[in-house]
Amino acid sequence: MGEKKWAEVRPSEDYFRILNPDGSVKEGAKTSVPEVSRQELLRWYEVLVETRTFEAMVLRLQRRGVLSVAASSRGEEVCGLGAAAALQVGDWLFPAYRQLSAVLYWNAPVDRIMAGLMGNTPEHIREHLPLPPELPPSVNMMPYPIFLGAYIPLAVGCALADKLNGRKHVSLAFVGEGSTSEGDFHDGLNFAGVLESPCVIIVQNNQWSISVPASRQTAAATFAQKAVAYGLPHERVDGNDIFAVYDTVKKAVDRARAGGGATLIEAVTYRILDHNSADSSAVYRTEDEAEYWKTLDPVERFEKYLFAQGVLDQATKTAIEERAEKRLREEIDRGRAVPPTSPDDMFLHHLQGEAGWSVKHQRDELAFELAGGNPFLDMTGEGVQ
Amino acid sequence: MTRINELPVTEDMNLVTAVTHTLRQEMQRDPSVRVMGYDIGPIGGVFRATEGLFDEFGPDRVIDTPLSENGLLGVAVGMAMRGERPVIEMQFLAFMYNAWGQFIYNLANLHQKTGGAMKVPLTIRATFGGGIKPLPFHSDSTEAYLMHTPGVRVVCPSTPAQAKGLLAAAIRSDDPVVFLEHTKMYRSFREPVPMADYTLPLDKCRVVQAGDDLTLIAWGNMLHYSIAAAADVAANSSASIEIIDMCSLAPLDVAPVLASVKKTGRCVIVHEARRTAGPGAEISALINEYALEWLKAPVKRVTAFDVFFPENQIEDAYLPSPGRIKAGIEAVLSYQF
Repeated sequence: MGEKKWAEVRPSEDYFRILNPDGSVKEGAKTSVPEVSRQELLRWYEVLVETRTFEAMVLRLQRRGVLSVAASSRGEEVCGLGAAAALQVGDWLFPAYRQLSAVLYWNAPVDRIMAGLMGNTPEHIREHLPLPPELPPSVNMMPYPIFLGAYIPLAVGCALADKLNGRKHVSLAFVGEGSTSEGDFHDGLNFAGVLESPCVIIVQNNQWSISVPASRQTAAATFAQKAVAYGLPHERVDGNDIFAVYDTVKKAVDRARAGGGATLIEAVTYRILDHNSADSSAVYRTEDEAEYWKTLDPVERFEKYLFAQGVLDQATKTAIEERAEKRLREEIDRGRAVPPTSPDDMFLHHLQGEAGWSVKHQRDELAFELAGGNPFLDMTGEGVQ
Repeated sequence: MTRINELPVTEDMNLVTAVTHTLRQEMQRDPSVRVMGYDIGPIGGVFRATEGLFDEFGPDRVIDTPLSENGLLGVAVGMAMRGERPVIEMQFLAFMYNAWGQFIYNLANLHQKTGGAMKVPLTIRATFGGGIKPLPFHSDSTEAYLMHTPGVRVVCPSTPAQAKGLLAAAIRSDDPVVFLEHTKMYRSFREPVPMADYTLPLDKCRVVQAGDDLTLIAWGNMLHYSIAAAADVAANSSASIEIIDMCSLAPLDVAPVLASVKKTGRCVIVHEARRTAGPGAEISALINEYALEWLKAPVKRVTAFDVFFPENQIEDAYLPSPGRIKAGIEAVLSYQF
């Protein structure tokens, strides 16, 4: 471990905010609190509780050796949720890395998520965890990408396919601020501008890409302003304010749906925990800044607002927490109960139809080896017997 | 399987006009087929492969894009996963190195990553190969990079009529397909191409000429050099040479190769790709693993060298010539255990 750490540069708070950190509504905000029903507000709150509960459970499972690696979106949860809540059924959602709240909002099956975290193949998960027949209509969710930024051109093309066919769907994609340094980010925005693709790109700027601070990703004053070079509208919002995120994304989504093209949105937040369970942020940063950001907690802020408005009371809060705990425990248990994936699954779904001689031969080799045979005894190409 | 020569009503076409004809026919047949790339609109492609299509189908079907191979490929994959059938033009195969990320992460992997739930019915038309003496990075034959990637089909036609059947099959395939067009062959010869639409299998090589003493494997323009070299050898000896057009590079059509070598006992592989870890290395390794006891001589590779594609004045010495291929054949035929 080295001695030196990165000095942190606190991002400018010159951004769109509706809710103050204490849960009060900002005076003179250019937009007032968006019109959201009481039922929807409670749904948002429930998703936030579920997100925190699930991630805490998963982290515990990782520490017990059940999972190889686990990551958390703690302190950033309303970026994903506020954006996802602005979508409509039939839209497309391209998550990045810390948007669990977005997929939970749209009823992603948690048992399948758990089975995926356990390292099972999608085919195997589908077979063992069939979806309930009465699933509510949803958005289309892409699987977590792992690679950085490469979904951006995909989302642009996905939205373009809708536009060219007269379908009124919008594609929404997330990247971290680190991924804005990837070529894919710029390719995607450039094509989105020229081809007038109905999509929304959100930079969830949590200040850290593993150990490298945002100040090492760009010399530009903001990530939002990168849109200027591509002729796209852009917004910069307080990423810990669910109303600011929702309101901004909603306007961008509505504009895209109406034929107004793409928007880039920077949501300013902070990664208060390690990158993931394999990381130790103490190596490269001090805790001061994380402590400051804990005072800006997005869930507590929203909760204070809900209490102040009389939408939430202690009994409801407790009921939501208990319901989340119970449901998630059941889902996790179901996900963990899936039997291990067969090694043969690795050969599935690379091509439609015939996989070709070599893959077929290699697949037989592995099966023969797993059955106790020596797969290298085929000297004629006719297969191991 | 379609027997091309049994289809009536033909028109003489070269490789590039056969490609244009096929694109037009497929676009007329299926509205989800869209041609995309840069310089493919009003100009009709730098080799004129998309000539006339912009006028006929308009800017929503023939989409001129910004100049980024990676952006082009990524956006097209996003369209393909939604049921479009983009046919994108990589102006030169060597320009596609910029698109390496999208090629692996999304084009090749999306079907597997989603457990088969999503398909990417996308065709990449990429020009490749040496002989026309353009600028650096316009002649690379780096099909091995493509073949090393799972989840992608790679085909390479060597005649106009074959190009039509393979390109139509590539466009209709639900898999991503790289369709390699050799620039030297674009206008090198014409042949009758049936006007009716037809497809050829994407995963079958083609025995061009049967023989008993040596198996000669090539594709693209090298197939024509190989045919010439084999004729030259046969003119001066009693050797009977079997020639295989390895038009299906990925997945590699292995069984006919092994069957042929088990019959002839000798093999020469010809390609413009560099030798080390080139396609010939894989073919030779397969023969070594599964046909060793039938071999009468070492397998030889007549290939380009492990250097960057050289300057115009010396590229003829880099590319396998009919003379060099002939020498390779003669060396293998003369070998005695």
